[in-house]
Amino acid sequence: MAMQQGPGRPVPVVFTGTRRELAGLLLRGYVLLLPTIGLYRFWLLTWKRRFYWSNTEIDGDGLEYTGNALQLLVGFLMALAVFLPLYALFFYLSTQSRDAAILGYGGIGIVLWFLAGYAIYRARDFRLSRTLWRGIRFDQTGNSWAYALRRFGWSLLTVATLGLAYPFMAASLWRYRYVHCWYGDLRFDFTGSWKQLAAPFYLTYLLMAVIGAIAVGSGIAMGALPVDGQVEPRGLVPMAIGALLIGMLALRYQARELSAMYSSVRLGGAVVTVKVAGRSLIWQYMLCALALLAAFAVLATGGFAVLSVVAHQAFEGGGFDAEIFVQQMQSSLVTLIAIIFGYLLVLGAFNLVTELFVGLGYWRLIARGATIAGGDTLGGVRARAEDKALAGEGLADALNVGAY
Amino acid sequence: MRILGRFYDGKVAAVRDVDLHYLAEYETGTLLISDAVEGSVIARWAADDLYAVPSRRNELRLAANGEAEGARVVVQGGQSIARIKATLPVLANRQRREAGRQLRIAVTATLALGAVIAAYLYGVPLLASRIVGLVPTAWEQRLGATLADQMQSSIGGFVLCDPDPDSLASRALTRFGQAALAGSNTPFSLDINVVRSDIPNAFALPGGQVFFLSALLDQAQSPDEFAGVLAHEVGHVAHRHGMEQLISSAGTGALIGFILGDMTGLSLAAGLGSAIIDARFSRDAERQADIFAAQLAQRLDFDPSGLADLLMRVGSDDDLSRALALLSSHPLTNDRKSALALMGQQRPTGLEPPFSPAEWRAIKAMCGGRAGQRSTPNDIGQSGAK
Repeated sequence: MAMQQGPGRPVPVVFTGTRRELAGLLLRGYVLLLPTIGLYRFWLLTWKRRFYWSNTEIDGDGLEYTGNALQLLVGFLMALAVFLPLYALFFYLSTQSRDAAILGYGGIGIVLWFLAGYAIYRARDFRLSRTLWRGIRFDQTGNSWAYALRRFGWSLLTVATLGLAYPFMAASLWRYRYVHCWYGDLRFDFTGSWKQLAAPFYLTYLLMAVIGAIAVGSGIAMGALPVDGQVEPRGLVPMAIGALLIGMLALRYQARELSAMYSSVRLGGAVVTVKVAGRSLIWQYMLCALALLAAFAVLATGGFAVLSVVAHQAFEGGGFDAEIFVQQMQSSLVTLIAIIFGYLLVLGAFNLVTELFVGLGYWRLIARGATIAGGDTLGGVRARAEDKALAGEGLADALNVGAY
Repeated sequence: MRILGRFYDGKVAAVRDVDLHYLAEYETGTLLISDAVEGSVIARWAADDLYAVPSRRNELRLAANGEAEGARVVVQGGQSIARIKATLPVLANRQRREAGRQLRIAVTATLALGAVIAAYLYGVPLLASRIVGLVPTAWEQRLGATLADQMQSSIGGFVLCDPDPDSLASRALTRFGQAALAGSNTPFSLDINVVRSDIPNAFALPGGQVFFLSALLDQAQSPDEFAGVLAHEVGHVAHRHGMEQLISSAGTGALIGFILGDMTGLSLAAGLGSAIIDARFSRDAERQADIFAAQLAQRLDFDPSGLADLLMRVGSDDDLSRALALLSSHPLTNDRKSALALMGQQRPTGLEPPFSPAEWRAIKAMCGGRAGQRSTPNDIGQSGAK
């Protein structure tokens, strides 16, 4: 029985979902997006969350996601109320003189950056307060505006210090998120600090700076950024290699940060330990890149075949005549539909592959890398009163933030 | 066979292994949940209150109305689940009813969105022209000036071919513009600029500015062609199409953003979607401007189908980029050409020509082109669709 375990026995976290299952779920959802003019995305997101939650098993019991699609739909409509005036302002600014427009766009960009913090926190609250484990609900308290302000201030400081303030920002935000997090009537605690992040971060920072300088330097020396506009393709090679290395370093650091920060989460007597290896994270991204290449190769072949049928005049004489093609596009409904459909396929393939490899990859790596010691001390946690929280994720949904 | 499950009471974070039994009573029954070890009954859930909550494969999660929010019985394994479902058909019924409810919500929302889109497609051309009427003219003029600035920096500076407003050509153009706008109650004064550029194009901006680029003028073989295109652009000014299109494309952007769930509207998807819908509106605007040109041809002696001749000639030019520049803003089809020819058929006789031969020569020479070289009556006869 679950209650009769030795004290301090570490409990593994298991993820039981498969990539194939998620692929089936996503494909079904994408198909249904068509007849519903995109509205089905709220249901798809709900399915997706149920998949991730219910397959995440802690000490033999899966999580449960209790949210539903209607809540998301309503939240989205509420967020529209915020965005339509912003959109009108955007339009008005676009008609102004260039300086005014740039200034205005900058201002709106800053407002959006601030709002994103609010949205992220609200979305987190929405998800946590709709998550059950062993029949007890999680929750998020704290103030979304306070979080947004904190995030905004830190990010300004980070920009001002060319990124050097980042470890402080990350630790501060992780702390705010977790000390306001609840499981039933038990509050989470967070023991992490910037000291855990400083060493890996500054090392990564230094390495990135060196690699970046070498890559750009040798690229320019080989003529990638000539003054006379004649680009030497060979010069781009060191730059591409540099970018790749920097990307890998960033992922490696991210794995470090995730491991250190999740391992600082405490819940009563329970201690979380998460080990995510940088190479596993890099591997997920490489798989994703390969799968994207394969998917787009298939789509490109198929698209070419279809276009040569519906717009065959443009391909007459062996070559491709863009002029005829454009005329065709404007006059032939079939071609237009084929292009829209092809576009949707490309978009769908991209979303599918990134979700299958990056989305699922992260979740699985974290879940499988996690163990919880002292989880048996949670047996006495009691449910808290109903959270009267919020319809939907609102802003988060409109801003497109928050994966999962 | 026993059915084993895990039970959470929803009040405390404890889990108990339980035995499940079903007690049939008359037409309904009760789910008996008892401790797997001690055998004592922990809870009785009436079958009528039971429902299944979504879960993973091979797992059934039962909840009951009237119990704590998180109270669950979790059963794993295909056989056990199949037996429970067979015993409790109410679960399947509830699930079907819930699925039906979700379907109704989705269908209703889709219909509502469909109605919005339909209203948009048919309403916005009407609505945009109403809204345009509310736009202060000073604002529109400022906007036109801004747009002209932006275009100048993207195409390269606009240099007026003939900066002297009192030259023969400039006066002829001003007179043409006044004649064209006479009777249309536009709030703007027309400003026709012939400027130097390698791109064969002509366009109207909000606020009454018309730009005719020298490369297009060079390709014009007759006053008919030049007057036709110019009248078409004046038509855009008279209808305030520039402003109208700005407003409708902003609306389209908002709608596409709504459909794709991306209200920031910055994504490629939103851009492409808007472009496709807006092409529809722009074609309506082109038709209106063509009609305007044809109506002007009832008052001045020129053949409006010259407009189509000039655009087609530029369109068939070898230089692809030139062609695209024009085709994108002036989609050209044979339908449009024949419509113009039809409208140009029954014109009253004895009208005054838009430009005297001397004026036409002066206009052709404005940008240093070969004055009058191709504008003999013979050439007009050959090139046109008369």
